Amino acid sequence: MIPTDPVERDALAAEYVLGTLDAQAAREVEHAMESDAGLRDLVAGWEARLAPLTVLALPEAPPPALWDRISKALDGPRPAAAAPARPSPFWRFWALGASAVAAGLAAFLVLRPVPDQRLMTVLLTQRDQPAWLVEADGGALRLASLNPQPVPSDRVMQLWALPQGATAPTSLGLIPAEQGRLTVTPSAIRPEPGMLMEITLEPPGGSPTGRPTGPILFIGRLAAASGT
Amino acid sequence: MHAETDLSTLLASVATGDRAALRAVFERQSVRLFGVANAILRDRDASADALQDAFLRIARRAGQFDATRGTPEAWLGAIVRHAALDIIRARGREIPSDDPNLGDQAVSPEAEERLSASMEGKRLRACLEGLEPKNREGIVLAFVHGLSHPQIADRLGTPLGTIKSWIRRGLQTLKECLA
Repeated sequence: MIPTDPVERDALAAEYVLGTLDAQAAREVEHAMESDAGLRDLVAGWEARLAPLTVLALPEAPPPALWDRISKALDGPRPAAAAPARPSPFWRFWALGASAVAAGLAAFLVLRPVPDQRLMTVLLTQRDQPAWLVEADGGALRLASLNPQPVPSDRVMQLWALPQGATAPTSLGLIPAEQGRLTVTPSAIRPEPGMLMEITLEPPGGSPTGRPTGPILFIGRLAAASGT
Repeated sequence: MHAETDLSTLLASVATGDRAALRAVFERQSVRLFGVANAILRDRDASADALQDAFLRIARRAGQFDATRGTPEAWLGAIVRHAALDIIRARGREIPSDDPNLGDQAVSPEAEERLSASMEGKRLRACLEGLEPKNREGIVLAFVHGLSHPQIADRLGTPLGTIKSWIRRGLQTLKECLA
C-alpha cells in the first residue's frame, strides 16, 4: 500500500530508488507512479540525489552481439527469439492469488438468474476492487466497466487473454478511452473456463513487443457463471 | 550522423521512433550502462538481459525524459538499474553477499575520485562523509550492488532492524545535506 503520510511517502520513494524494496513493494510503487504525480516527483528527486553513485560501478564492455539482439527484440512481434519466453511471475502470482477473490465475486454475481451457462469473471484492481465485468458469449467477450477510472493521457488500456496451459498472453486489442462497454471477438483464442484475462497500461498504439509491458491494472479468470 | 549530437537530443529523436538515434545512445552509453547492470548482477548474461530490457524501456519511454529534471545519463542509469533490480528480485537475490569484490571498491580513494568528477558527485560525496561509515557503506551496497536489507545486515554483521533504521535515517540525512 502506498502511504498517505508525506514522510512515509518520501521514505518509500527513497527505498524504491535505493533498490531495497522487495518485488511486490517495488511493483506497487511503479504501479502507483502511473497515476500519482506526487509520488513520481518524489522518486525523481531521489533518482537525482543518488544518481552520482552510479559512477562507482566499473564500466564494462557488453557482449558484441548485444545491439543486434536488442534491435531484433524491438522489431517484434517475435520476442521469443530474442528474449527467453518466461511467463511473467506476476501472471503466476495473480493466477494463484486474485482468482480466489474473483471466484468469490463471480459466485456472488451468479445469484442473479442467468439464462444458460455462461463464462464470466470480474476483473479486479491490485487492491481487489471490482473494475470490469467480463462475460463470454460463444466466441465473443462482452466487457462492462464497473468503476470507470481515468487513464493517463499518454497511455492506453490493452486487453489480454492467457488460456490455461499457454505460456504467453494473447492481445485482444486496445480498449477505447472513455468506453465503458465493448465486445471483442478474438480470432486466435476461444473463451474457456480458467482463461486468465487482464488489462494492462501500455504506450499509445499498444504494447510494442506483443506482450504486456506496462503495469497490470485489472485481472480475473473466466469461470462458469451458472450450473457447475 | 549522430556523432556530435548530445544525448538529450538523441533521446528526443528516439521518442519519435528513430532507431539510428537509439543505436547512437547504445553505442555511446552501453559500456557505462553494462557496468551499472553488472555491478548489481555480477553475471554478464544476466547483465545483457538487463540491458536489453532497459533499451526496450528506453525506446518506449524516451518521450518521458525531461531535461529540466536531470541529466540524460542519470535517466538512462536509473532505467538500467531498475531493469537489473527486476532481474535480481525475480531470482530471489541469490547472488552471494560475501563476494570479496563487493563494496571494497566503493570506499576506495579511486572510487571517491570518480565520484568527485562531477559537481553533483562532489556534493554527494561530502554528504556521504557526514554519515557513519557503516551507514554509508550500506547505502552504497544497496544502490550500486543491489544488495537487500538482509544481505547488507549479513555483510556488515549488524542486526537487520538496525540496518533498516540506519538506511532510512541515512537517506534522510543525505536529503537534508543535499537540500
